[in-house]
Amino acid sequence: MWTQGKKTGVIISVLLVAGSLGYLALGNFGQNLVYFVTPSEVRALPPERTQQKVRVAGMVVKGSVKTQSDPVGLTFELTDGTATIPVVFRGIPPDLFKEGQGAVAEGHWRDGQTFYSSMIMAKHSEDYMPIELKRAGVELPKKDFMKTLSP
Amino acid sequence: MTSFYARWAALIVIALILSGLTYQHYQQNLASVTPEWIVKNNSSPTPSIRLEGMVKSGSLSGNLDEGQAEFQLVGDSANVAVHYNGSPPENLRELKTLIVVGQWDPAQQVFRAREIVLVTNYGFVVSAYLVAMIPLILLVFSMSRKVTSLFQVIKESKLYEPQAEFHVDSR
Amino acid sequence: MSLLPSINRFIRHIQRFKGWFGGAAALCLITGMYLGLITSPPDYYQGEIVRIMYVHVPLAHTALFGYTVLFVGSLWYLWKRDPLIDNMCHAAAGMSAAFTAVALVTGSIWAKPTWNTWWTWDPKLVSFAVLLMILAGYLMLRTMVEDPEQEGRYAAVLAIVGGLDLPIIYFAAEWWRTLHQPLSISLRGVSISGDILLPLSIMSIGFTLLFTYMLMIRTQMLYLVNLFDAKKGRLLSQVHLSKVGQ
Repeated sequence: MWTQGKKTGVIISVLLVAGSLGYLALGNFGQNLVYFVTPSEVRALPPERTQQKVRVAGMVVKGSVKTQSDPVGLTFELTDGTATIPVVFRGIPPDLFKEGQGAVAEGHWRDGQTFYSSMIMAKHSEDYMPIELKRAGVELPKKDFMKTLSP
Repeated sequence: MTSFYARWAALIVIALILSGLTYQHYQQNLASVTPEWIVKNNSSPTPSIRLEGMVKSGSLSGNLDEGQAEFQLVGDSANVAVHYNGSPPENLRELKTLIVVGQWDPAQQVFRAREIVLVTNYGFVVSAYLVAMIPLILLVFSMSRKVTSLFQVIKESKLYEPQAEFHVDSR
Repeated sequence: MSLLPSINRFIRHIQRFKGWFGGAAALCLITGMYLGLITSPPDYYQGEIVRIMYVHVPLAHTALFGYTVLFVGSLWYLWKRDPLIDNMCHAAAGMSAAFTAVALVTGSIWAKPTWNTWWTWDPKLVSFAVLLMILAGYLMLRTMVEDPEQEGRYAAVLAIVGGLDLPIIYFAAEWWRTLHQPLSISLRGVSISGDILLPLSIMSIGFTLLFTYMLMIRTQMLYLVNLFDAKKGRLLSQVHLSKVGQ
């Protein structure tokens, strides 16, 4: 009933769907591939993992951001509520990077004490309001930031 | 078919009016000057202008909670000293590109800012709207035209009468 | 049981009013864009860039809504084997794919100035891109099978299996670690202030209506294409038979 070419096409399209779903089930959401680790997990990293690049996410500790001009960069601390790690970053941080907000840093955990990063992403929360409301001290209901780190 | 095109023409007119209104609304936000421009024209006071630059690292001081701040704004090759006095700034940080609104004071050689706003990024907003609307509207347009022409073809080819007699001249 | 045989008649009936859906969609989208671009205030943290949310979030919701239509329609087709429902499923898949692609691109444009990256392998983003892959596979399958009955059956099964992705996309930012922010409207409450929520809701309604309108046009288009092919085929077979009969 089918010509050979059509049959191959059907198999390809079925494989496309099955492969995509399989990738979701096994590749991305498996236990060994998480999008980021938390500061507590970074502190507990086994020595062999410190050679690899890792992403670490946390809240930028208020008052911890210090900038340098030569070379341009900054140091700050990331926390998940239980552990805090110092981060050294080279470059210009993204505009939404801010104390008291979330950030994801990509880099290496060295010597068991400092995280060296060359790429920062801002992790913003899900609340949106005009600046007048924010100044008036309005807080909209949102997920506790620390809970978004390790659900 | 004429009313079909008339409807689409009306939509395009409304879209043009909406983009005109939006452009007009943001026109005063589009212009900003650089620190280089201020340094070049530093002898005369300016009207209220928007100055865009990055807050120099290590230069920020003052009492932010009371809305007082002093910092250096850097461009590609020049620095401008800024004195800010206004409501507590939500988004002021070192190594961040910002727009300060205020006037240049030639006597003190400082820029007196009364407002600090984020970089507007209108390019991203405009491209997001265009990327969303143009393909969808073209898709609606082409599908409606296809339906209209299919109706026409089916009608004209007399295929629509289910029980039509059909004769083939065999010779 | 009286509802069941009438779904076909209901679709044919509502098709007559499709112009109203198109008009309402245009009205909502124009109002929403006026509110979103001109009267709504900038966000305290993101500034003007928050206006991208008014297109990105409704587009993504509508893409998921479109796949839900496809999922339910496929179940219905397997049960009732109604060719009109099959046409509707085919149309829903095509439109849902268009909305998914546009939502991905607008999301990428929003991500660059806020997160500082165009794309990242975040579970929410990956599962949404997988939705586009699934729909591409579905649409490919539909062009490959010759027999319409078989085509509809296979496609429906594929769509139902692919439906597994829907809850994954929706809850990805709640279940896993993502860069993407969690849901703004959930059991926790609404974390969007009124001035920003209003254009967002109007655009959401507008895009859902636009999807419905496009679904109606495309269902009609596929129905007419099938009808045209069938009539042409019948004519050809008559010619063929009369030749054979000689």
